[in-house]
Amino acid sequence: MKGRTMETSTDRRLSAAHPRLKELLFTLRRFLKNPLSVIGLSLVVIFGIIALLAPVLAPPKYPDPFRIPHTGFRIEPSPPSAAHPLGTMQQQYDMLYGLIWGTRSAFRIGVFVVAANLLIGIILGVLAGYFGGAWDEIIMRITDIFFAIPYLVMAMALVVAIGRGLKAVTIVLIITGWPSYTRVLRSDILVTRGRDFIQAARASGASHLRIMINHILPNAMYSVLILASLNIGTTILTAAALSFLGLGSETGTADWGQIISLCRNWIVGAPGNRFAYWYVVFIPGFVISLFVLGWNLMGDAVRDIFDPRMRRR
Amino acid sequence: MSLVSYVIRRLLFMVLVLVGVSLIVFTMMMLLPPGQRVAIYVNGDRVTPQMMDRLIAKYGLDEPAPLQYWRWVSNIFRGEFGYSITASAPVWDGFVRFFPVSLELVLLAAPLIILTGILLGTLGAVRKDTPTDHFTRIMAIVGFSLPTFWLGLLLLMVFYGFAGIFPPSQMSNEVRNVVFGGGFHQYTRLVTLDAILNWRWDIFWDAFYRMILPSVNLAIINSALIMRLMRSSMLESLGQDYMMTARAKGADRRTLIRHHARRNAMLPVITISGITFADLMGSMVITETIFDRKGIGWWMAQAALQLDVPAIMFDVLFLGTVYVVINLIVDLIYAWVDPRVRLA
Amino acid sequence: MRPAGAGALAETRDLVTNFYTFEGVVHALNGVSVVIRRGETYGLVGESGCGKSVTVRSLMRIVQAPGRIDSGAILLFLNDSDQGAGIEILERTETYMQSIRGSDISMIFQEPGAALNPVLSVRDQVGESFRLHRMEQMIDETLAGLEESRRGMRSGSPRRLVRALQGALLRAESRGFKRFAAAVSRIDAELAQLESRDGAAARIRREALNYARDRARPRGGASAVARRIPLLRRYRRPLDATIRRHVVELLRSLGIPNPANVAERYPHELSGGMQQRIVIAMALACHPTLLVADEPTSNLDVTIQAQIVELIKDLKRSTISSVLFITHDLGLVAEVCDRVTVMYAGDVSETAAVAELFARPLHPYTQGLLASVPKVDQREELSMIPGAVPNLIRPPEGCRFHPRCPRRMEVCSREKPPAVEHLPDHWVACHLYPPAVRKAAGGPT
Repeated sequence: MKGRTMETSTDRRLSAAHPRLKELLFTLRRFLKNPLSVIGLSLVVIFGIIALLAPVLAPPKYPDPFRIPHTGFRIEPSPPSAAHPLGTMQQQYDMLYGLIWGTRSAFRIGVFVVAANLLIGIILGVLAGYFGGAWDEIIMRITDIFFAIPYLVMAMALVVAIGRGLKAVTIVLIITGWPSYTRVLRSDILVTRGRDFIQAARASGASHLRIMINHILPNAMYSVLILASLNIGTTILTAAALSFLGLGSETGTADWGQIISLCRNWIVGAPGNRFAYWYVVFIPGFVISLFVLGWNLMGDAVRDIFDPRMRRR
Repeated sequence: MSLVSYVIRRLLFMVLVLVGVSLIVFTMMMLLPPGQRVAIYVNGDRVTPQMMDRLIAKYGLDEPAPLQYWRWVSNIFRGEFGYSITASAPVWDGFVRFFPVSLELVLLAAPLIILTGILLGTLGAVRKDTPTDHFTRIMAIVGFSLPTFWLGLLLLMVFYGFAGIFPPSQMSNEVRNVVFGGGFHQYTRLVTLDAILNWRWDIFWDAFYRMILPSVNLAIINSALIMRLMRSSMLESLGQDYMMTARAKGADRRTLIRHHARRNAMLPVITISGITFADLMGSMVITETIFDRKGIGWWMAQAALQLDVPAIMFDVLFLGTVYVVINLIVDLIYAWVDPRVRLA
Repeated sequence: MRPAGAGALAETRDLVTNFYTFEGVVHALNGVSVVIRRGETYGLVGESGCGKSVTVRSLMRIVQAPGRIDSGAILLFLNDSDQGAGIEILERTETYMQSIRGSDISMIFQEPGAALNPVLSVRDQVGESFRLHRMEQMIDETLAGLEESRRGMRSGSPRRLVRALQGALLRAESRGFKRFAAAVSRIDAELAQLESRDGAAARIRREALNYARDRARPRGGASAVARRIPLLRRYRRPLDATIRRHVVELLRSLGIPNPANVAERYPHELSGGMQQRIVIAMALACHPTLLVADEPTSNLDVTIQAQIVELIKDLKRSTISSVLFITHDLGLVAEVCDRVTVMYAGDVSETAAVAELFARPLHPYTQGLLASVPKVDQREELSMIPGAVPNLIRPPEGCRFHPRCPRRMEVCSREKPPAVEHLPDHWVACHLYPPAVRKAAGGPT
């Protein structure tokens, strides 16, 4: 009771600015005050820079920059050296090159897939949540069916159906990823639709589309966007898992999952030196983890900030 | 609303979802050329290239899709799932062989996942903003971000590759010879349980020992979600007015946390156990592949690699069924725990 | 506000409670001193956010994080032996507080729907009061009942053997509780003696006793083991039945129709008025000396409100010694309370007997508050206090009311006014009434 009264009076002082702008500034301040979210943001920014500067950091050797150059066909990986700062993988693929261009593929897959998921999810979510009735029933039953099949298993089955390769993986993840957005958006729309200001807007004669775009979507979008940020990590992990299983890109493609699958035979070291090849196993997985961690930390922080229960503590 | 009619309604809904799942599976497989789908209809032995054209014609694989769907579904109801090349056996035989291996691991890993998640989540909430809380939170988010396959490889590298303990695979060769060599009665096909029933503790230990690392792998990855949810819902419970009432009544900390807060906080955790299960199945595919355990997940991965269409279709249908059944059970548990839920 | 006079039951002295929130420190209580006397119904009035609830929560030491009692003293005079100095509860352990809460002081809440745990039945929740404070009595009654039923049975019959086992386990539990109660009362008595004494030796002894108090638990011997074993655990069933009987009895005494049925219900199945009765039942289970009612009626329908107020008044007459009644409704205060304190923004403004306060309000805030209540024969416009309740993160300096005060003086923004007994038993904290001068009669208006 005490705290609530306090808030309103603090807010009153801030309320000179536009409410949404004020909210944004408040959010930004909280975001930057939280060390974990700052770490997350920095990780994502660093990876972004690496992806952007990939041609500078690791000049491609072939016309297709996503093919990792390899010097020779010796099976055994070699440790870091001047020529290969992070060592080489099986068949002498250069690790550093693979990781740098792999960052680019990760962004391409992650951002593209999640954007497409968002688009599909939002369209269907709006149809289901705002128009309700038969639309709602049909769309929600379809999401039920999608949820009944484990994400990775569904993706694997689809890859079998439409073929392998990064492009196929991207399509598969787009087809399988949208239901969670639809569900979240729909329930948010249902909540928002019942609120007083929507009733007021409807009573004042605003059109369906207008109410949807001006009033409902801005209020219901937050959770979907947070979900998207958290899902970029999951998407990358799934894509990498598919590559790891041998269902993704071809051998020698600069793709993190592919790199790890090249390295999985080297967990047992050479006789006499059991940790001989630790770098091959450790480095690529560590890079994936950092990337996913960055997105998750960011999404997590944003969610905490937008969670009205956690908001002002 | 009575329990029976609720369950009946839920079962009807289940059938609906399963029909949907079968449609999706079927649609996906229709994308493949007929030659790759022949195996779905063949039971008993391998298909040789020479037989292909004849079989395509025989099973009507170039007929209209609805007809083919009907034929496929009626085959399923007759218990004919086709021939799996990865299992080198009919799909059903493969399933009987692989399923117990996965079940055994799930039976060990699932309680581990749930207990870790709930205990650490509660701990974090009760000690909010202390080092314990920060530690569990960071653990949860890192567990959330780790690729299953990498964690598995690291665990294997450190424990098996370096220290020489916790070897992969389901059992050692000697034990395999005993188990499949006769004299060892396979009551349940769960090796650990059968070993106890045969009073062969050496076999039990060998099999159990090899399940530890994969379970830990699954637990680290999959308990993160429960841990986070438990923490936040516990925090919410702790802040509710009824906690104040209980304190004003003179309840001690233990009663407050166990009796009043945790019961309420468990409710959302129960709701997401279905999702946790689906995640667990995804992790199983990877974990079984890495730890060389020939279960359903391993089978699925192999089938996807070798375009073993019957096995894939069967696995997807099977996992869909399990998911729906688990969700029904979860809903019943929920209704039992939360008196507010009317089974409507 | 004043030294504890004869007949005081609970007293706070210069209580300062702060909330350490994200936006800053909320100075919720700014040195609150109130005295609740034995046998009276005492009112705390003020706008929402003035610190009424925080005061009583501090009094019971159940302020929620991020709140903290930072200084001041809280004294309880629960039985005659404490009448001298009283028990300074801020010095006592949490387990001591647990033994007091719900037993000597209990509380009812604003929103009965939220105050009840949704997943526990009425029987569980009301019975918990008995479990927490009256376990010894419950076990003894159960044992007596067991003995009774055993006598009617054939010797050597299996049911008689089961009864015997149940009896043995319950007796073990009962012994544990008795030893625990003896140990605790010994510690508490010694602590009460040490209360007024200073010096290193007394302090160390106090620490040691508090530690022992925190550690003391009833130990039930074999029953503690049996309670953890699934089938054996059922030895407690007769005990549950006893508690249930008490719960039903209690509900019936509160005028709840069909109490046996209500006991098995869950909170969401009951109406708001019924829920509030259940909350009251929980509070009354152990016959408290002081009942704290935190706006018990503000979220109920008007007719239900009247019923609940009647119930509390009845109970005050029959069972409870004192009631601390928190409300923002001045009409209710006039109807229920004997004495009343007006609070504003974490400060005590004025304390007096109800009739006195309504007849001669001294503090400008009280005057404003009374003027803003509509009367039946109201002709002129309703007056109101200009401005809004201040932000307690950066509260106004000096008297917290001064920015809104119509009679503000220069000193008001500098110094916090002390409380003065301006008229007999009529205390006010305002610079209009300086401590030295004491007028004979009449308010300033």
